[in-house]
Formats: sequence, C-alpha cells, structure tokens
Amino acid sequence: MDPSEVEFLAEKEMVQIIPNFSLDKVYLIGGDLGPFNPGLPVQVPVWLALNLKQRQKCRIVPPEWMDVQKLEEIREQERREETFTPIPSPYYMELTKLLLNHAADNIPKADEIRTLVKDIWDTRIAKLRLSIDSFISHQEAHAKLDNLTLMEINTTRSFLLDSLNSMYKLRSNTQPGSAAEKTMDY
Amino acid sequence: MPCERKPMRYGHSEGHTDVCFDEKGKCILTCGSDGDVRIWESLDDDDPKSINVGEKTYSLTLKNGKLVTAVSNNTVQIHTFPDGDPDGILTRFTATANHVTFNHSGTRVAAGSSDFLVKVVEVADSSQQKTLRGHDAPVLSVNFDPKEEFLASSSCDGSVVVWNIDEQVQVTSWNVLQKSSDVTNAKSLCRLAWQPQFGKLLAVPVETSVHLYERNTWSLVSSLSDDFITQAINVVVWSPCGRFLAAGTIGGYLTIWDVGTKLCVERQKHEKGYTVCGMAWHPSGGQIAYTDTEGCLSLLDGLATTSHSTATPQQHASSAKVKESKETKDYDDLFDEDDGRFLDEEASESPVKKSALGEDEDDDDDDLMPATGRPRHRSSFLDDDDNSQDTGSVALDRLGAADDASSAVEPLGPSAVAAVTRPMYEGPLPTPPQRPFQPGSTPTHLMHRFMVWNSVGIVRGYNDEQDNAIDVEFHDTAVHHAMHLTNALAHTMADLSQEAVLLACVSTDELASKLQCLHFSSWDTNKEWMLDLPKGEDAQALCLGQGWGAVGTSALLVRLFSVGGVQREVFSLPGPVVCMAGHGEQLLIAFHRGTGFDGDQALGVQLLQLGGRKRQVIQGEPLPLSRKSYLAWLGFTAEGTPCCIDSEGVVRLLNRSLGNTWTPVCNTREHCKGKSDHYWVVGIHENPQQLRCIPCKGSRFPPTLPRPAVGILPFNLPLCQVATEKGQMEEQYWRSVLFQNHYGFLSSSGYEIDEEGQSQAHKEQQELLMKMFALSCKLEREFRCVELAEMMTHSVLTLAIRYASRSRRMGLAQRLGELALEKANQEQPPQHQEEEEEPNYTSRHAGQSRSRTPQQSRREEQEEEEEDEEETQEEQMDTEEVAESRKPRVNPFKKGSASPERASPKTVSTASKEARVNPFKMSGPAKQSASPAGRAASVLDTMTTANRKPAASATTGSKQSKSPVLKPLVPRPKSKTQATLLQMSSRTASKKQEKPQQEVEERGKEKEPATERLKQAQEATSPASAGDNQENRR
Repeated sequence: MDPSEVEFLAEKEMVQIIPNFSLDKVYLIGGDLGPFNPGLPVQVPVWLALNLKQRQKCRIVPPEWMDVQKLEEIREQERREETFTPIPSPYYMELTKLLLNHAADNIPKADEIRTLVKDIWDTRIAKLRLSIDSFISHQEAHAKLDNLTLMEINTTRSFLLDSLNSMYKLRSNTQPGSAAEKTMDY
Repeated sequence: MPCERKPMRYGHSEGHTDVCFDEKGKCILTCGSDGDVRIWESLDDDDPKSINVGEKTYSLTLKNGKLVTAVSNNTVQIHTFPDGDPDGILTRFTATANHVTFNHSGTRVAAGSSDFLVKVVEVADSSQQKTLRGHDAPVLSVNFDPKEEFLASSSCDGSVVVWNIDEQVQVTSWNVLQKSSDVTNAKSLCRLAWQPQFGKLLAVPVETSVHLYERNTWSLVSSLSDDFITQAINVVVWSPCGRFLAAGTIGGYLTIWDVGTKLCVERQKHEKGYTVCGMAWHPSGGQIAYTDTEGCLSLLDGLATTSHSTATPQQHASSAKVKESKETKDYDDLFDEDDGRFLDEEASESPVKKSALGEDEDDDDDDLMPATGRPRHRSSFLDDDDNSQDTGSVALDRLGAADDASSAVEPLGPSAVAAVTRPMYEGPLPTPPQRPFQPGSTPTHLMHRFMVWNSVGIVRGYNDEQDNAIDVEFHDTAVHHAMHLTNALAHTMADLSQEAVLLACVSTDELASKLQCLHFSSWDTNKEWMLDLPKGEDAQALCLGQGWGAVGTSALLVRLFSVGGVQREVFSLPGPVVCMAGHGEQLLIAFHRGTGFDGDQALGVQLLQLGGRKRQVIQGEPLPLSRKSYLAWLGFTAEGTPCCIDSEGVVRLLNRSLGNTWTPVCNTREHCKGKSDHYWVVGIHENPQQLRCIPCKGSRFPPTLPRPAVGILPFNLPLCQVATEKGQMEEQYWRSVLFQNHYGFLSSSGYEIDEEGQSQAHKEQQELLMKMFALSCKLEREFRCVELAEMMTHSVLTLAIRYASRSRRMGLAQRLGELALEKANQEQPPQHQEEEEEPNYTSRHAGQSRSRTPQQSRREEQEEEEEDEEETQEEQMDTEEVAESRKPRVNPFKKGSASPERASPKTVSTASKEARVNPFKMSGPAKQSASPAGRAASVLDTMTTANRKPAASATTGSKQSKSPVLKPLVPRPKSKTQATLLQMSSRTASKKQEKPQQEVEERGKEKEPATERLKQAQEATSPASAGDNQENRR
C-alpha cells in the first residue's frame, strides 16, 4: 500500500468545521452532510474540510487529541512503555500532516503539535524497527502488532515481507547443511 | 471608623516581612526576606534608609535607639538606631528566631525560636537570660505583658502559653491553635498582643476570630469576629489607647474592632488580597502600617482613635448606614463599582454565596471609601451631641487613670448605648441594580473581549498596549467581508445586524457620548455615520433591527434611528435601561422597574412593534428571573420570539399564545459538568429547536482566544416526571406547541412562513397526542383519553375513535364520537388543513399494528364491495359525516359504527356530488356540505404531499375517485412487507371483527331504517376496500 493510499483512507475521517456559508443538507453516496449553517460546527470528512478550507469557506476545528498537552502525555507514555500504546486516532500522522499543512492557522500551537507528533512517530517507528530486529534474530514465527496504525505498518511491510522472503529462500538453500551452519546464518 | 487606605508600595523582595514604628512615630521600619531593614520617613519616602542586617530578617523591634532583629543565622542582633551600626549579638538559638519583641520599658527583649525555646534577655547585659521551656514546637510569637509580669507565647504545637517571667513557669496555656510542624507550615503567624497600659486583655488570633483572655482569671472574655474574615488571622495589634484592636488576615482583610462594643468599626481589604504578615499601630494612634508577604508596605491613615474616640459609636451606626446610603447613592456609582464585580468576579463564585455576601462584600471591597465619606460628616456633627452627654475623651483619660477591670469596657457605656439605640436595618437588603450590558458581550474590563456575538457575526474589541481596535467578523461571509477598525473613540458597546454595525462609547470629560454606525449594506458611497448624544447623556445599551437602530441612554430615554442615520422617535423608559434587543420590527427593552431585595433584580420588559402599526406589545411588565439572579442575555430567537436568560442559566421564551407569559424552556446549568462551568448563549433557534451556546469551563464567558466553538443544547420544558413515557410525551407535545407559536406570530405580522415546517410541527403534535391517547387507553384512563381527544384535531380524533372501538372501549368511543361532532361543528374552517395530515397518521397508526382497523374492515367486505362504484361510496361517506354531525343525539348508532365512521374522510366532496348525496341526508342541512365544496379544490392541491405518504384507505379511496392522477401514487410508498404484515394481522382480526359489526347492525336497526344502516356499513368499508384492493392488485 502506498502512503498516498493510506492518506486517501485517512481523508474519510470526520472532522469538525465551522462553515461561513449556508447550505442545505448535501446528499452523497457516503452519507448525508450538513446542513451547513454559518458559525455552527458541523462534522464533515477531512477531504471536504480541506477543500472548503482551501476555498476559505470554513474554519477547521482541530480534533480533540490535537492538543499540546494531550500529545505530550501520549509521547511520554509512548517513551515509557515497551509496547505500542493506543493512539487517539488511527490516522494521527496523516491527519496531522493534512490539517497542519492546510489549516495551520486554525490550530493553536501548530508547530509544537507538529514536533510532538513527529516525536511520537519516531518513537513508535524506532520501537517497530527494534521489534522487527528481534523478531528476525529470534526467528519468531509470528508477532503481535497491537495498536499499530496503518501508516506505520506500511512503512515496513513491503520491505519486511520481501526480505523475509529472500531470507527464507537463502535459508532453504542452506537447509541441507549442518545445524551449525544454520545457526551461523546470522 | 473613617480611614484612608494608601496604595501599596514596594518595600522588600517577596517573602515574609515585619513592620514597626519608632517610639515617636516619625518613621516606619520594615524588614523583609532580603535581609534589609528599611527606615521610611513616610510612606512616600522614595529613598528609605537601608540597613543590611543579615541574609533574611524574620522580625524586628525597636526601643530606645536599639533595633533588634531576628535574622536567618539563628541570632538576634542589635543595631543602633537611626545610624544602623551593628551593636552586637543579643542571643543565639539553634534555629531561627521567629519573633522578637521589646518590653514596655525597653530593657528586655523576648525572642521565640524554632528550637522550641523562648528567651528573655536583658538588653544591657546579654548574659542575663531567662529561658522558657515548655513548647513542643517552634515558637510563633512572643509578647510582653505591659506590666512585665507575664509573657505570652504561641507555638506551632497549637498552644498559647502565658509565662510568669520571673519564675519561668507556665501560668496557663490554651490549646486553641492548629498544630503544625514548622513555622512555614503554620496556618497563621499568630502574633499575640497584650492590651497596652494595664495588660487587661490578651488578644490571641484563633482562626478567623480574635479571642480575648482576661488577665489573672485567664478566662475567655470575648471573641471578636467578622463575617468578612474567611481566612485565618495572622496579626493582631492594639491601638495605643487600648480601645481598638486591629487584625490582619491571610486573605488580606484588615479589620478594626472596638473592643468595648465588640463591633467592627472598620474593614479594609488589601488591594491585591495578599496575606498581611506585619502590622504596627502608630504611637499616636492615627495610622496603621502593614506589610504583606509580597514585600509591600502600606498605611491605613486617618484613623481617629483618640481624638475622635466618642465618634466611633456613630461610626458603627454609620457603617450600618452604609447599606442604606447605598440606596440613596447614585446608581451609576454602583454600576461602576458593585456590579462590575458582581458580574465579573462572581463569575467563578457560587451564586448563592454571592447573594448572601455579595452586596456587603462589594461594599467593603471598594465602596467603603466613598461610602464612609458621608458618615464622616455625620459623625462630626453628631459629636457635639454626644460630647454634651458624655465626654468620651474624658472617659478615655479616666481609663488611663483607673486600674479597674471594668475600665476597659465601661467608659464606652453611654456611647455604646447610643450605638445600640440607633436602629439597625435588619429587613431584606436591597440588591444593587445590575449594570446595563449588551447581550452576547463579555465584560468591558477585559482587554480582549467580545463586544457582541450574535447570529450574524462576532465583534471583538482589543484594548491592549499595541492596539485599540475592533474586529468585525461575519459568520456568513456572504453578508460582508470581515472588518478591522481602529477604536479611537473607545467604543464599548456594539451590535451587529445584516445591514450595519452600531457602536457606541460613553462620554469622557471632553467628548460627548457617541454613536457610530457602519452601514455596510448601504448602496451609496457613504457607509458610515456618527452622532453625538446630548451632553450629560450616555449611551448604555443599543440594538439594531431591520432598518432601524435604538439606543438606551442614561437619561432614561430610548432613541430610535433609521439605519441610514435619520433620527426617529424618542421615548422615555420607566427605569434605567439594562439591555435592549432588536429583531425585524420588534424592539425588546429590559429596564429596572424598581429595587430588588435579597439578591433579586426587579426588571421590567417592554416589547414594541415598530413596523407598520406601531404598538407596544408588552407594557413594562415584570421580567421573571430566577431567585437571586440577574439578567444575562436578552434577545430574540431567530424566528423572532423574545427570549431571556438569567445568571442561573434558565432560558425563558415568551409564550405569545398564553397572554405573553414567559416559559422556561431550558436550564443550561443542568448540562454543565462542573459547578463553575457555564454556557454562554449566542443564539436561539425555534426551528430546528437549538440553543446555540459556547461551553465555558470555570467561567461565565469565553475568552477570545482560542476561538471558542459553538455547541448546541436541546430544550426541555420543566414538566414533572419526564422520566416516564407519559411525562416525556407531554413535554414533547407542549414544547412543540410552544415552539411553533412563532408561525402564528409571523403570519399575523405578514411574513412568509415555512409552511412545511409548520405542518410538520402540527403533525408531530397530533402524533404525540395520538400516542398519549394510546398510552392512556392502555392504562385504562378513559377520562384522560377524552381530555386528550379534546386537544386533537377532528381528523385525528376520528382515528382516536377508531382506536378506542378497536380496543373495545365502546363507552369511550361513544364519548369521543360526541366530541367529534362538537368539533366538526366548531372546526369547519380549518378542516382542510387537517385533512392533509390524516393519511400520515393513519399509516403511522397502522404501522404500530395496534390498530388494524382499516384493513380489517376492508377485508371483510372486500368482495361484496368490489363492484361498487367508488364515487357512490364517497357520496355516502359525505352524507354520513354530515348526518352524524347534525344528529348529536343519535348515539347508539354511532357507537356501533365507530369503526366505519372512522374510515370516512370528512369534507372531500364536490358540489355536484352533493346533489346526489342528498337522499340520505335528510336531516343534514345543505349549507354544511356546501361549505366544504368550495374548499375541495384547495384540498386537492394541498393533498399531494400528504398523499405520497402511505395513505390510509379511507382518504385514498375518496381521492382516487376524484383525481385519477393521484391514483397510482397512493399505495406505492407502503413497503411490501408492511402491507403483507398488515394484511396478515387483519386476516386474523377479521373474524373477531365480524361480530361487533353484526351487533352494530342489529342495534342500528332498532332505531334507524335498515337501509341507512346498510349504507353506513358499506361506506365505512368500501373506501377501505378500495385502498386495499389496490394494494392487493399490486
């Protein structure tokens, strides 16, 4: 899966906007949106929010978790714990990117949030790498990937699968060899 | 006691401080945590002399040119005064000394330390020390008895001990204080004080009161307290004359009592509410110097203790008078002082507490100064009076001479009596009238505030160092783009409409109060106009309507303007304006109609209609508010119904259909999570029912940044037992009724209305009535059923009748039948409207599967009726209907035929059919059917929407006959599953059904000709069958 595909999925997440125009309910295949009343918050998908924002038709209300204090807590927890901690949104990275790139003026302390989310991301990716490393070195058969977001999985999936495949090939080639050889593989 | 609170000035760096006067009172000495002792010539002394005595100083005392300080290196040092040269160390402890004090003659110094010891040291020879052991915790304070017999000390172990100095033994001790482990943890510094001269009394600050212990007996004589002291008292000091006692508290209150009368003669509050930790009374008695834990120093000046001692009782009286004087004081003062606090500071406080303390507190915080101005005159002129009776100053001299137990209390006798005899007003206290405000604005003292937030947009005011500006922003950018104005005139009020922004400022010394209007919707090039109010008249409230603006002024006038700047009507208000709101052509004004008592506001409200026929709709009637609350918002719903919200969060809506009464529709506080959370309302909509407001955590209003988000609250009528199904439906019904009042108003004032919305609301109500009816039926409350039926429209009533008879309540059905007849007579005109709703109900009704009536009857006679011409059926129905209504007494027949009758639509007939119908309608006069005839066309028009809904057999049948176009539409929306379900149910029920039908027929034969009976049966069933047939065909 491409990162852009994941982002596409993320755009289906709902976000609150405050429109500055008035429009009746919009009936779409994916569901009804609106009605839009100027000044009154309404839930719309991110793609629409961004579109409206770009046309200066609305203000975006940042999601509840997009808050310096909450993110700091999450970061600390993420650093403290060995395993992956639950994340407020399955698309936190994508949403942060999207919203901060297009609506930074509607999000208080945008820079801090960007840094914090990046920190969380880095921590989690580092954990992921570490666990993959131990996964391979211990030749485990399966691993639990709780609380991993789609984007995070996708950063390593293709590479990991390919390398596991080639390792498997290499290993099966060396299979006839002695046990000692096998262990010396790594 | 009149006095002047001087402003605070910086003395030392932050931390504990102490203060004393020199013996002559020429200068003030302070010490602080910066280790310096400063000698101030006066409070205004800009260059105090500084003596560095150590790293930190905890306490200081001065006598005979010797300055004794307790410093942080655990020593008690002497410095010369006024030169400030070190003069050796008096004594040492193993921990810091907390308090040092001289004896009266200045020969000995007592020091209490954190190592639990109290030492008494001869100043001349520091080797002569007496150590008093016995405290189990750090010593907080020490004080010499003026006769030097005793020494009192207080300690963190909770005890206050009186020592015999010579014998070094405890004379007595009281465990009255709160225990703590260290001075820093101690709640109070607990500075003790002996009454000067004879040491008759020992004052001990215990929590929020001061205990007075009598010498020798060591009994608690009295305790001085004051309602305003809410935190522990830190320091007490006696006036040099020994008649007054001053106390300083943690919360920054300075209170002075007259010990004789035990009355509080003066209260002052530290301007920032910091903890007072040092106090000293000027030797002459006219000043009190005090310091706080922030290192600041200040004075209470002009205390008339000795010279005016007799005046004090009057001052008690006058302090009581303060409240009364408040009434007489100009409103404006109160607006500016009291209510500002009232509204702003109270925001976080609980409203109940506010109302209890509110006004007094307000008084004492700031208003005592202006208020005491008056009593001061009073006391001086009463002075002569009292001096003639009893020379107080002489009495005081006597006090000096007589060493008598009673002397401390006695000399005040006569004057104290005078104080008592002066009547104290103890009735309900008047509430300070609330200040004028703009609905949807945040308090004016804020630097960044909302000047208005309404359904059109937001006006924000900025008033900080860099900028004094106003931002106007529209919710709908289609109205106008955002504006940024410099606020050179310092506007404080604003209103915003689709056409203009109206701004106003109050007058200054040079400039008159101004009104500025940005008429952005103007089509000419001049988008702005400005207007000066007459001199001495201030704008206090303003609002914009459609094409006009209004401003309420301090001259009790309301001035109307056109939006282009033409001056229009001017009229007087019965009282000072509180706020105004405009909507369309309506103007709503809230004003003070009198003085409220005990925290209540007495507001009146006027509602004017400015367009076309100008008239006053509400003539200054009282505006209902919750107890002890004030008006927080006044305005109109988006649909134009007046609405008000009080500080308790209760939203009230004007009920135009109930004689312009106010109905509470929501309590925003019920939705708050925290006690101090509030909702700040920005708009109210009746259709859909929305209360738009901003949730504010811990305050009454939102900050401008971060930008607050609007939320929506639902409405709820405060009906009883809304937890039950019945209560819920009742609430829904009445809410729906209330919230559709505006349709009537709008149409009566010539606006176009959302007819769909109205019919929707109407439908909803009838549906609810039907549900309630069904519920009551189930609960066997037949009387209640009839009551409900009375509220129903005729068409729904027929359903109710059908329901009743299906559930075998013939008695009920009969009564309902009577009722239906009455209704039919009364409700001829609105019938066609109801007609269009009926189909919907039936379908819903049937959907509930409780009443399978139409289908049952349909099936039953489907076959036999099939060949019948639809047209004739219809005619029959009409005749039946009319006949019924004309024969109220022919009940037996109706009772039985309740079900057929239900199936009949009411007035769908044409004139041509009318003629044919007649044979059956012997008793029915022609005129009745004639009237519906004219309506028929419109009925058909309006029917189209209704028809689309799954239609009841009855109406559809009739309609089919008339307009073939509608035919295919009729049954379509009915889903197949539903249809089959109904048919199944009707099949099962049909057998049962046959019996009553037969009964009916039999009974009918008794009184009516058999032919008519038959017809009825036919007509009842035939439309049903027609509808059903169609369904079946599909």
